[in-house]
Amino acid sequence: MYVAVKGGEQAIARSLELLAEARRGDTAVPELELAQIREQLRLGVARVMQEGSLYDEELAALAIRQAAGDMLEAIFLLRAYRTTLPRFGYTEPLDTTTMRVHRRVSGTFKDVPGGQVLGPTYDYTQRLLEFDATQPVAIQPADAPLPGCMPRVLDLLDAEALIERIDAGDDPEPMDLTREPLIFPADRATRLQNLARGDEGFLLGMAYSTQRGYAESHPFAGEIRMGEVDVCVCPEELGFTIEIGAIKLTECQMINQFHGGNGVPPQFTRGYGLSMGEGERKAMSMALVDRALRCDELGEPNYAPAQNQEFVLSHSDSVEASGFVQHLKLPHYVDFQAELSLLRTLSAQHATAQVDVQPADAEPARMAEEVQP
Amino acid sequence: MMLAAFADPVFDSQRTFRELLQAMARPAAPRRLPVLPPSPAPITPAAMAILLTLCDATTTVWLQQPEQEAVRHLRFHAGLKLTEKPQDADFALITEPASMPPLESFSRGDLRYPDRSASLIVQVDGFRTDSGARFAGPGIRDTQTLAIDGLAEPFWQQRAALSTQLPLGIDLYFVTAQQVVALPRTTRWLES
Amino acid sequence: MTPSYNFAFLDEDTKRMLRRALLKAVAIPGYQVPFGSREMPLPYGWGTGGIQVTAALLGRDDILKVIDQGADDTTNAVNIRRFFARVAGVETTEHTVDASLIQTRHRIPETPLREDQILVFQVPEPEPLRTLEPREAETRTLHALADYGLMHVKLYEDIAQYGHIATSYDYPVLVDDRFLTSPSPIPKFDNPKLDRSPALMLFGAGREKRLYAIPPYTKVESLAFDDHPFEIQRWEHRCELCGSAESYLDEVIVDDRGSRMFVCSDTDFCGDRRAEAQA
Repeated sequence: MYVAVKGGEQAIARSLELLAEARRGDTAVPELELAQIREQLRLGVARVMQEGSLYDEELAALAIRQAAGDMLEAIFLLRAYRTTLPRFGYTEPLDTTTMRVHRRVSGTFKDVPGGQVLGPTYDYTQRLLEFDATQPVAIQPADAPLPGCMPRVLDLLDAEALIERIDAGDDPEPMDLTREPLIFPADRATRLQNLARGDEGFLLGMAYSTQRGYAESHPFAGEIRMGEVDVCVCPEELGFTIEIGAIKLTECQMINQFHGGNGVPPQFTRGYGLSMGEGERKAMSMALVDRALRCDELGEPNYAPAQNQEFVLSHSDSVEASGFVQHLKLPHYVDFQAELSLLRTLSAQHATAQVDVQPADAEPARMAEEVQP
Repeated sequence: MMLAAFADPVFDSQRTFRELLQAMARPAAPRRLPVLPPSPAPITPAAMAILLTLCDATTTVWLQQPEQEAVRHLRFHAGLKLTEKPQDADFALITEPASMPPLESFSRGDLRYPDRSASLIVQVDGFRTDSGARFAGPGIRDTQTLAIDGLAEPFWQQRAALSTQLPLGIDLYFVTAQQVVALPRTTRWLES
Repeated sequence: MTPSYNFAFLDEDTKRMLRRALLKAVAIPGYQVPFGSREMPLPYGWGTGGIQVTAALLGRDDILKVIDQGADDTTNAVNIRRFFARVAGVETTEHTVDASLIQTRHRIPETPLREDQILVFQVPEPEPLRTLEPREAETRTLHALADYGLMHVKLYEDIAQYGHIATSYDYPVLVDDRFLTSPSPIPKFDNPKLDRSPALMLFGAGREKRLYAIPPYTKVESLAFDDHPFEIQRWEHRCELCGSAESYLDEVIVDDRGSRMFVCSDTDFCGDRRAEAQA
């Protein structure tokens, strides 16, 4: 005798217990401390902060531990928490020209004022697994300290009027994608917000596609810089700006060839990427996709996936994508039943048609589940 | 001395909203608002309940009579943005319907986004359901009879003219001291 | 109730935004209102739109019922009910007749709803034209012009190819003779319950950031052609638990030889009928 499935509540409770046990693993091994995650998994923390849209290393570390290292789950945890936070105010726009630089490279000139600064990078590690426990390293001090702030490489081109001008004063007040729905067509500020929260893997793939002929890209890494930038607010009751702290950022400005169009003379154009913490792959991908999405504005043919703003912006968010792909594991009994019923009808019709053609050996048609008029 | 707003903001606005939702879903039927907050003239408590429930710093409001005390009260309790241009208003408060601007002064939305249209809160003298015009449309099972006292005649002509532009339109909340009647753009005026 | 969150999880600004959008949705039946959907602590695609609508409606006096596939006891329904019990402390019920608010995924209860009830649908894809036209900018324009030729062509092609319309759920409807609307993925069996319903029906799509409404007593027409009228699913079977011949049935495979039986998808309806039969 069939008994209707009951006990969803109990099943969920047991599942949560199993999850907690699995997350903790062998209790003989000490539990990870948040400080260990923050200090030793800093790139994971940076990604979770960036795509979680919340700069808080401690909370990001907590989310990573709770998610057992599943970055997308950690990002989701941080986003859900962020929703409930009250807003006390808005900062002034960050000024990355004042960045206290830890790393700064350009692919466009052999040397630039301020120099090429490798900083901490995996670029030249040779990727050999290091089997021995890591030893503390004695850091060799540089001959001279880095300058307090460095000019942007692209501003040097600007002096020669070879690169498109960006007038910061022209920027309209950006809309807030976390509070307002995405509406198409989306302006550049909105697109950049979306890309900034977008999944690194998705953006990487999209960016890669622009280099392989899906969009005319021809990019050069004008400048990538990483370091600390001060965060300032101007409280209405004070009437002047105060610094409330500093955050680490990675900024990428791509330089792209442009042959002119839409009334714009031939010149270099820009693609822009910005990421919290050390997020170079993300910032570079973002800059390439940003540039590709400017095709309509620059009068370029719009044919590639990375140029299609509805395609890119609607599918970039890992929280949205992960939820919707995985919702397929929820029950769909009712719709499946509706489809079964339809398919049985179609299949019966098909069989009847076969009978008409070859009356000798065909099987008799099954009764249709759906009542025909 | 400033008057208070909702005593229990979370639940007073929730209960008010549920009445407004039912009012909008069942047009031309008067409903009593459950919470009537103190309100400076010329705003009635029922109109104030609607403003406190729906408006905040993200909504733009036009006041027909922006009396200083009323403006101060609304700014303090709801933080809302006031505008002097009716066409910019998300919400407009009509405190003297006899001299209200024509309906077409307010935003009717655009065809791709007809929700970007004004909602008007109109303070009137009273409602009668035993006589008046008959209304029909979504939310009304057969027809609904309603007379609204204190509206000037051109109002209904202006509203009838707007109805040819559906789904563009303006949605109306009429209030007396304690009651509300909603007339969404889809409600049709049949005859008197 | 968890004290560190506001009643029903959302902050009051967010509720006001949702409430304004809901009122516009009711004022323009079947039109999809864009809204500032928030990141909820449940995944997108799992009912975040419905949850936000419910959170904007919910008060202390409400009695909430949550169903998924018509059943109160499926894990996602349990989880959403648990969420509201936790963040709002409201009374919950499994009985359709006792509920003031019903949140649903994929079904409309068999028990007729009343004027004092509100039904909230979880919607994965609010745009009925999306599978025919993926671009939002384009579908917005088609709605503005009430140009639904794409859908009529699709249905007509079904008839040409299969002899009838091959859509069994999420069957498109025209609301108040104006907006083509997705009824959410309910089986077309439930479509007639949308037409002139005494209860207000609200639809929330969290991931797509749209919500819409069908007011009470509003004409809701399932698309069809004169020579191919709309029809609903019917079964040769009755429910093997309560004997109902009128309800939507779930097919259940009962052994490893593939034997099957048919039972009501609406567990409350089925349970009530069995209780009545025993009494």
